[in-house]
Amino acid sequence: MEYPEIDRYASLKSPIHQFDPRAKIITFSILIFSFVFVNNLTIAGMNLFFTFVLLLISRLPLNFVFNRIKWVFLFVLPFLIIMPFTVSGSELASIAGIKMTYEGFMYGSLIVLRAIAAVTLVLTMLGTMRFDTTIKALYMLKIPGLFIQMLMFTYRYIFVFLSDFLSMWKAMSSKGFKLRSNIYTLSILGNLIGMLIVKSYERAENVYHSMISKGYTGNQKTLVKFNMATKDYALTIVLIGIAILPHVCSMVI
Amino acid sequence: MHISDGVLSPMVIAVGFGITLVLLVITLWWNRNDGNVAEQIPKLSVMTGAFFVASLIHIPVPPTSVHLILNGLMGVVLGLLAYPAIFIGLILQALLFQHGGITTIGINSVIMGIPALISYGIFKVGYRKGIPPAIIGAISGGFAIFLAVIFLATALITTGEEFIGIAKLVTISHIPIIIIEAVITGSVVAFLVKVKPELLPIDVEVTKDEDN
Repeated sequence: MEYPEIDRYASLKSPIHQFDPRAKIITFSILIFSFVFVNNLTIAGMNLFFTFVLLLISRLPLNFVFNRIKWVFLFVLPFLIIMPFTVSGSELASIAGIKMTYEGFMYGSLIVLRAIAAVTLVLTMLGTMRFDTTIKALYMLKIPGLFIQMLMFTYRYIFVFLSDFLSMWKAMSSKGFKLRSNIYTLSILGNLIGMLIVKSYERAENVYHSMISKGYTGNQKTLVKFNMATKDYALTIVLIGIAILPHVCSMVI
Repeated sequence: MHISDGVLSPMVIAVGFGITLVLLVITLWWNRNDGNVAEQIPKLSVMTGAFFVASLIHIPVPPTSVHLILNGLMGVVLGLLAYPAIFIGLILQALLFQHGGITTIGINSVIMGIPALISYGIFKVGYRKGIPPAIIGAISGGFAIFLAVIFLATALITTGEEFIGIAKLVTISHIPIIIIEAVITGSVVAFLVKVKPELLPIDVEVTKDEDN
């Protein structure tokens, strides 16, 4: 288990890092929604290429990004492996008498390309700004304050509980507990999770009281100011254009 | 269990966001009776953080390992507020760990959240009927995953008939997870009954009298 430091490289300098956070969130979201619904394999491939170009421009360390893409790849890989066998269509090859279809292979590849393009965009967007900046930008984009605050608090307490959990885990392993696949392990883990919930509940009460006593009403105030410059507008228009392009192309083709 | 970006059709994605929006409004509005929702936010968020961390635990199931989902337990402990909690948890999982995706937040919340709400109902009814808490907890925990898998398979199949084969495999591969979640939820509930019964939707007054 490790701390989810998505914004470890937010202090680097690149055109993507300097892009206005609000514009970045909007344009990247449009790009993601656009690239995810592409139905043509060639266009999906070009989209993926474009996301890698963006990633290179952002200067994020590649092993940091690929480490995270790996998980999405492992999730979508079964689609590529299984779909050739289960989707009906024209025969591509056959292994031990089981037919592999061309359509299944195409569909599986399409899913893999779309998924990796989307996750590359997400990583380029989030990796280039501090996570609290992301949340503040969302607030300024008029996402309901309730959700913004839940995101903010939960994000912070994830770190607190991870360290809580790790110290409980250390205590258990020092007493000889090992993860196995049997009922005993599960019931001990149940107690561990129960303890985590009890601790969090008590902490929640304290946090609640201390916040109320400091005058918390549920309304958020933020001191950060963002400025949209000409280059931000220009980049926004270019990226939205690129987001629309695949769908225009597929209509023409 | 979380579907990533690029798999589902625009239709399924849109329906997912629609249902999630409606359920968020309903679950938050319902709790308005118990006081100001905005003031409850810190409490709910702290609990969401704890469940998030608990769901990072990996359990070895040869030849691989699975991570816990705990949507049934969230339903039992948080009640209707489990839905917004799961919604936030999924957003953070997509943003911080790239489990799931941005476009699939809506449908993933439906897949996890509705079973959580139902297992809350099951736990309440079952407890009132006098079934031991550990057993009804295990039933709620297992059923929440079972239902989530059904929803997941439905989401895949409604995207296209190409997915029928995948949906079958996904369903079969989740059977061990159903059992694990049932045992874990049962033992967490048994633990909470002993240690902190006010966290569960059960009659707290009776337990307090016994303590005195």
